[in-house]
Order: sequence, then structure tokens, then C-alpha cells
Amino acid sequence: MAKKNVPASSVYDGLLAQRNKKSAKATFAVYLPLYLMMLPGFIYLICNNYLPMFGILIAFKNVNFSVGVFKSPWVGFKNFEFLFATNDAFLMIRNTLLYNIVWIAMGLVIAVTIAIFMAEISERKIAKVIQPIICFPSMISAVILSYIVYGFLSTNYGFINQIMGTKTNFYTKAQYWPFILTIVHFWQSAGQSSIIYMASIGGIDKSMYEAARIDGAGKLKQILYITLPMLRPMIILLLLLSIGRIFNSDFGLFYQVTLNSGRLYKTTQTIDTYVYRALMEMNNVGMSSAASVFQAIIGFVLVLLSNLIVRRIDPQSALF
Amino acid sequence: MEKVVVKKSKHIPEKGFHYTAMVLLILLAIYSVIPFFLMLAISISSEATLAKNGYQFFPKELSFAAYKYLWAKRITIGRCYLITIVTTVVGTAVNLVLTSLFAYPLSRQDFKHRNVFAFILFFTLLFNGGLTATYIVWTRIFMIKNTVWALLVPGLLMGGMNVLMVRNYYAANIPYAIIEAARIDGANDLKIYTGIMVPLSKPVMTTIGLFAALGYWNNWTNGLYYISDSKLYSVQVYLMKLMNDIAYLKSSSYGMESAQLATMSFPTEGARMAIAMIAILPILMVYPFIQKELVKGMVVGGVKG
Repeated sequence: MAKKNVPASSVYDGLLAQRNKKSAKATFAVYLPLYLMMLPGFIYLICNNYLPMFGILIAFKNVNFSVGVFKSPWVGFKNFEFLFATNDAFLMIRNTLLYNIVWIAMGLVIAVTIAIFMAEISERKIAKVIQPIICFPSMISAVILSYIVYGFLSTNYGFINQIMGTKTNFYTKAQYWPFILTIVHFWQSAGQSSIIYMASIGGIDKSMYEAARIDGAGKLKQILYITLPMLRPMIILLLLLSIGRIFNSDFGLFYQVTLNSGRLYKTTQTIDTYVYRALMEMNNVGMSSAASVFQAIIGFVLVLLSNLIVRRIDPQSALF
Repeated sequence: MEKVVVKKSKHIPEKGFHYTAMVLLILLAIYSVIPFFLMLAISISSEATLAKNGYQFFPKELSFAAYKYLWAKRITIGRCYLITIVTTVVGTAVNLVLTSLFAYPLSRQDFKHRNVFAFILFFTLLFNGGLTATYIVWTRIFMIKNTVWALLVPGLLMGGMNVLMVRNYYAANIPYAIIEAARIDGANDLKIYTGIMVPLSKPVMTTIGLFAALGYWNNWTNGLYYISDSKLYSVQVYLMKLMNDIAYLKSSSYGMESAQLATMSFPTEGARMAIAMIAILPILMVYPFIQKELVKGMVVGGVKG
């Protein structure tokens, strides 16, 4: 019935098309300001993020700046072959992974413990003082950190050497640095990393503890059977996210705090410091970009994988 | 009645846990600040004390020579400070504008292509070209080596996570109806942005602004990668180069010692700590007032950072 009202004539089709075209134009005109607003940020993303992504092609070239990056010859996987033939490659991957694995495990225990303790005293005024104080070390840069560490470790004047009555040159003794860096890392990050768990504990329903107490559960049991199970999703989420970053390291800690000391590379060289040194100190763009691309691609795969698992466990916490 | 009895029987161990937690946390707080006191102590020790007793928490002889030295060097150090302040202020301001301008269209549910742009933004969080490629892009294409742009632009101007944070804030806290009403009243998008979005998103803008400012104030890697001209040193870059030069001279075959270094017009041990002290002093002064905002940001950024 309705069909009869719509003529087959092309006059109306033309009009309709014209109207659609007009409305498409009108839509674009309406949203033009929005596009313009995004333009500066968009340009920045292109320059700062997307151009370097195409720059990973450098890893497959024998870069010669005298002829320019674009004209440099392609060499396939040669750079990677050279890189993985060196002892450096094994060393930096081992160091990066070991530090990350140990620190992820220790960090979890430390952060959760601090959070549980903080929750215990959260009613007291002193908690409001302690929290900002233990977070303060994360506010300073690696440069300042290197000055502080130097104050403790310097050969002649350093505080440690003073109280021990020794003259150990820590900056040439690689065997101490796994411990030094662990102490420094947790000094700087322990407070800050516990905040997220404090927030989670704050969100736990207080009546559960009330019920447990009535049933005769002590503090330890409350922690074991209420707090930790309630924190479990957050713990898993943060663990997976840090596994996604397991090939990355804190450049400032491994480069600046160690004062870039060559004698320490055995225990302080990570992928990030190697990429920097190969680029700036050895002027070896090929090796540097090979290590850097290796890190970026493995990192990307790990982030995708860990996110996939997070989405399985807790879809709301997934990044995407 | 029973409740009271149960509570009483658990009374003592619970108190014990409570006080253990408190004592341990107080110790942790002391542990967190002690290194700063060593810095302060070194900067106010006299050179003679340092030479005799080394770095101590309680120097035998106090001296403000290090700070006098800084005053004597006020032209160099003042310039570093000026560069730090200018880059922090300008960088933070531009960061806030870019971030919120990019976030507003992404939050508009009637904007068709918002998912495309959200993905373009989001992908930068998952994948990056790495330092080598980034360095070559900035130095070979944009030629920012030894310009003030190097301290402002690379890596710091707009962070994907921050944009998403602001976008989420807009979407969750500013009802679309307000925007629609404003448009019916004839407001254009720029007007909506400046008149509605920005004023209504002060909390999230404060948090992001603080982190951006802290990022600029503390940034030294851009100086390490792109700056070799001492006229462009910020405080952090100056401190970094100073420490690295000294470490290099000490480890090199010359085996220089502090006394020799002093004759080479390097700042003394105390003076170096004094510069480091004045680099964290501004953070220390504003920290009590901004720590609440920072903590809020850490909770939000902690998961998805």
C-alpha cells in the first residue's frame, strides 16, 4: 500500500541524494570545530609517537647519516644477528628480566603489607602524616637520587664507608649493585605503590570485618580471609600489567644512579641503558635500534597477552 | 553480652597488631626522609669537616660556604633555574590545553569518529618506536638538538593516559544534556569547551597539571639526549652533567680526587649537594599542599598507568 505513495520517478531520488549530500556537508560543518580542536594534539601524536613507530624500520637498515636515513641500504635482520651474537645481548636481557621478576614479587609483598598496616591505623591522625611522607621519595628525579646515593656510597666521604671504616669504591664493584639498586628502588617506590592497595582496602565493606570479629576471627585471620581475597583482583591486575612491562626498566635508576659506570655493566646493564649507550656512546645506530625494536615488539606482544588474560578474569579492569 | 566477651578475649593480640603496624610505619616514614637529611647535612658541613670526617648526619662544624658559593655562581645557577621554571610553566600550560582540547571531542557521544581518534591515541600507550627511532626523528627531522624545544616537546607535551583520564571525567561528570542545551542556546564548541568543560573539570585538570609540572621540573632525560649547550641547561640537566663529568674524571685513568677536582673549578662536594637541595626545595615546599591531589592521581593512574 505504502509503495504506491512513493513514485518511481528519479526526481525524488535526485532530491533525496541532494539532501543527503547537504546533510553530510552540514554534519561535517557541525563537527569541524571538534576536528580543529583535536588538530594540535593529533599533530603532536604524529610527531612524538607515530613517526618513531615508522622509525623502527631503521633497525633493518645500515644507517649512514652522510647519505641520509632514507637512502641507507636495507640489510634485513643483520643488525639483530650482530646484536644477539654479542655477550651484551644476553647480559642485558638477563638483567632486565631478573630485576623485574624479583622486584615485581618483592614489590607486591611490600606494597600490600604497607597498605594493610596503613588501613590498620587509618583512623589515627598520624596516618595522614605518614602517608605523604612515605610517598615523597617518588617525587624526586633520578638525578637527585643519584646525589643521595652518592652521599652514601662515595669512596672517600661516603656515609657507608665512614661508618664501616672502609674505602670501598662501590662504583667499581658490580657485585654490590643488585642489592644497592633494590634498596634504592624500594626506598623510592614502596610508599607510592601501596597507595593503590590502600584505596582498594578502603573500599572493602566494613561489616565483613565486623561479622568476622563476632565470629571470633583475630586480626591475622581477618587479613587472610577477608583483606587478601578482596585484594586478589587488584593484585592479579597489577601483576599482569607489570608483566606486560617486564622488558622495560627504569632508565634513571640503572643509568644515572650507577653514574654510568662501565665497571658495573655486568649487573646494571639493562635493555634501556644498552639502547642509550649503543646510540650515544658507541654511535652504533644499528645495534641500538635492533635492541630498541626487540624491546618494543616483545613489550607490545606482552601487553596484548596480559590484557587478554586480564579481560578473561575481570573485564572491567582490562585496558581494552 | 556474648559479643562483648568475644571482643575482650581478642583485645590484647589486636592491640599488639595495631601498635606493631604503627611502629613499623613510623620507622618506614623515618627511613623515607633520612636520606634527605644526609643531603642537607652535607650541604651545611664545612669543607674541613668533610675532608676529615666525610659525610655525616651531624657535621662537627657547620658552614654555609656551599650556599655562599651558589650565591656567587648565581648567574649560572639562576639561568638554570629560570630555564626550569619557564619550561615547567609553559610546558604544563600547553600540556593542559592540548590534553583537554583532545579529550573534549572524544567525550562527545554524538561525534561519530570519536572511536577512530580514541584508538589513534590509545595505540600510543601500547606500542612505541623506542628511544633510537624517537631520537632520530627529533634530531634529524625536527632538528631540536640544542634548542629550548628539546626541553619542552619530546615525550612531555601530551600523554595518552591523561587524555583518557580527562575524557572519562568529562563523560562521567558532565551530562550531555548540558552541552546540548548550550548548543540550542547558540553556543559554539569553543564556547562550550571554555565555558562548560574547563570550569567543570577543575579537579581532574589540577591533578594532571600537577603531574605534568612535576614531570617538567624533574625531567633530565631530554637534556641528556638533546642538549649539550650549557646555556640551555635546566637545574636537573646541570646537576646531571656535573655528576657525570665528575664520575668520568674520577674513573678515568687520571684517577682525580676531590681536591684536584676543586682546583678545576668544579663545585665542591658541599656545593653540589647544596644545588641538589635547592632543586628539591620547591617540591618540598608545595608538597604538603598538593599531596592529596597527587595521591588521587596515583590511585587513578596506578592501574592504567
